Amino acid sequence: MSEFIPSGGGSHTGWRASLQKLGGNLAGMVIPNIGAFIAWGLLTALFIPTGWLPNESFASMVGPMILNLLPILIGYTGGRIVHGQRGAVIGSIATVGVIVGTDIPMFLGAMIIGPLLAWILKQIDKVLDPITPPGFEMLIGNFSLGIAGMLGAMLGYLAIGPTVSAISTVLGNGVQWMVDNSLLPIASLIVEPAKILFLNNAINHGVLAPLGVVEAEETGKSILFMLETNPGPGLGILVAFWLAGPKILRGSAPGAIIIHFLGGIHEIYFPYVLMKPQVILAAILGGATGVATFMVTGVGLVATPSPGSIFAYLAVTPQGDHLGVLLGIVLSAAVSFVVAWFLLRLSKSDASDADFGEAKAKSAAMKTGGK
Amino acid sequence: MAEISAADVKHIVVACEAGMGSSVMVAKQLAKQLKPQGITVTHAPVNQLADTPHEIVLVHRGLSARAKQAVPESVVVIFDMFLGDLNMAKMVGTLQSGGVVTDG
Repeated sequence: MSEFIPSGGGSHTGWRASLQKLGGNLAGMVIPNIGAFIAWGLLTALFIPTGWLPNESFASMVGPMILNLLPILIGYTGGRIVHGQRGAVIGSIATVGVIVGTDIPMFLGAMIIGPLLAWILKQIDKVLDPITPPGFEMLIGNFSLGIAGMLGAMLGYLAIGPTVSAISTVLGNGVQWMVDNSLLPIASLIVEPAKILFLNNAINHGVLAPLGVVEAEETGKSILFMLETNPGPGLGILVAFWLAGPKILRGSAPGAIIIHFLGGIHEIYFPYVLMKPQVILAAILGGATGVATFMVTGVGLVATPSPGSIFAYLAVTPQGDHLGVLLGIVLSAAVSFVVAWFLLRLSKSDASDADFGEAKAKSAAMKTGGK
Repeated sequence: MAEISAADVKHIVVACEAGMGSSVMVAKQLAKQLKPQGITVTHAPVNQLADTPHEIVLVHRGLSARAKQAVPESVVVIFDMFLGDLNMAKMVGTLQSGGVVTDG
């Protein structure tokens, strides 16, 4: 099915759709499990020695959850996407091999081995199903899964765990290097435009959060959770559209502000930017301002705030970091607002409603095609 | 070009990346508007559209290529804005007053 190229309707299968699909699959393994991440994040924020209510007994759950439960849930979900319940079971088994082979949270490893083993089991089932004698379905089904699962866990332990661990170390060192050299705000140059193209979940849940979790497990918090999820730039842009945007867009902006900033559904501001693509500059500058503020004040979050609502942000902010976190959000919103307001005023002087229609058509063509 | 008569529409599915965020929001709004027509509005991740019963898929333009790829035979209605979208309103109007809903 994935090779199918629609013949009509003007839809293409461009690079962006492929990238979205890959990212969507990564995010699809994580997002259904966000509730477990929140439980873990709250336990961490409350009960670790530097938390609000230090409690050694409750804090003892923090490690097993991040190292075992969360990767297994990811491996389970990744397997389920590929091959239903059987895929979920074998994905979980194999993930255990990856986990015990390393000493860091194995999110990326689980994202690889869960779907991989489910796919292998799917191929095995295709071969075995037609030749299974009646009455032997359960025996063969259980043992094929059990044996393949055992081999998968061994593969994870010997190959995938150490490989992903090495890759995580290299990527983590790269991020650390960017932090040490104050280069992290440059990340906004990639992150903000990618968000607008609906790669937001792919970037956050597929790339940044798995790296952030490794850092948070060592140091108690990570700035990587904040690169994509900061609701400040979107807030500034929406306020600018409300006050200075094309008339047709102004009416819906206040509702969008509430849904974006309080509800955390960032998708709602992407269409506004797509209709006035120059506003992407406001998102980049606002995003970079936020990251710079977070970096200078040395703040981080204990878990990924999902959805990226101000409430989720405050819930996963560790004790003592609230000032820096709020400052970063406010400054990024302010910078985005000023830049977006200026750009909208600039484009307004020569834009009539007819131009707006044309701009809409143009951005529509750009979005759908994207090859 | 897929098309369907309004009278035959019983299920609409709104798709987004994860099937848990923006699609839920849009689905809730539509469900209220289309309740008198007896149309159920659900939500799903764009990757799992094929497993979700529907006559019409509603999706943001940014994900429309993937929706068409996932369910090439279905009517895929595209919107640009999550609030106050004209194309979405047109579809709702057609479903309420009768007519034919087509791709786009």
